[in-house]
Amino acid sequence: MSEVTANDAKQLDQEGDVAADYLEGLLDICDLDGDIDIEVDGSRARVSIVEVEKGELSHLIGDDGEVLQSLQELSRLAAARETGERSRLMLDIAGYRGKQKVILEEAAKTACAEAERTSAPVRMAPMNPYERKVVHDIVGTLGLASESEGDEPNRRVVIRVS
Amino acid sequence: MLEEALAHLVRGIVDNPDDVSVTSRADRRGKSGQALDVRVNPADMGRVIGRSGRTATALRTVVSAINEGRGVRIDFLDAAER
Repeated sequence: MSEVTANDAKQLDQEGDVAADYLEGLLDICDLDGDIDIEVDGSRARVSIVEVEKGELSHLIGDDGEVLQSLQELSRLAAARETGERSRLMLDIAGYRGKQKVILEEAAKTACAEAERTSAPVRMAPMNPYERKVVHDIVGTLGLASESEGDEPNRRVVIRVS
Repeated sequence: MLEEALAHLVRGIVDNPDDVSVTSRADRRGKSGQALDVRVNPADMGRVIGRSGRTATALRTVVSAINEGRGVRIDFLDAAER
């Protein structure tokens, strides 16, 4: 179990604030509307840009969330410059990650059902570390075993009946 | 607007934000016909490029998205070079 100390919580608050200012500045320059929410959940700061007008920020998400991922990367660097520590903050735009998470969880459940039906290991598509964590968590709650294999960017989850 | 957006993104991640400047020029080879030159303090060059060019790629991805998906060429230069 990871324990969140008062210092960690303070650092996560600061990460969220710095990232929010950084993103707000970008929206202003681009003349885009968006409300920025910051929350600290467990050991991560989560920053979300909420659309005021539906679809207005879709180009900041990009195909397969590519632009969102780049903005997250830059926001982490901006936060790290202020705190001096590596940041793991998560950025979401217009609820994209929430929707993706549901899709991923469904795929994980389907793969678990297949592993149980065939008693054979099921290999999932390559995923980034965050996506793999989502899958591992679902597999765990369903009582099956999973591990990651292969090297980035082709690292993937393999599900087995334990 | 693109120059300003890029300057903002870079200033937020470097140690010497006051040394950052962005200029635009025509780029006949590029898809959008536009190229941006970013000048940073030499000490910050590693930061804006990132490991295996990761940060530079992120900056190009975001700026191209802001430019309605038309790829923008971005060159990173040492602020001391003129």
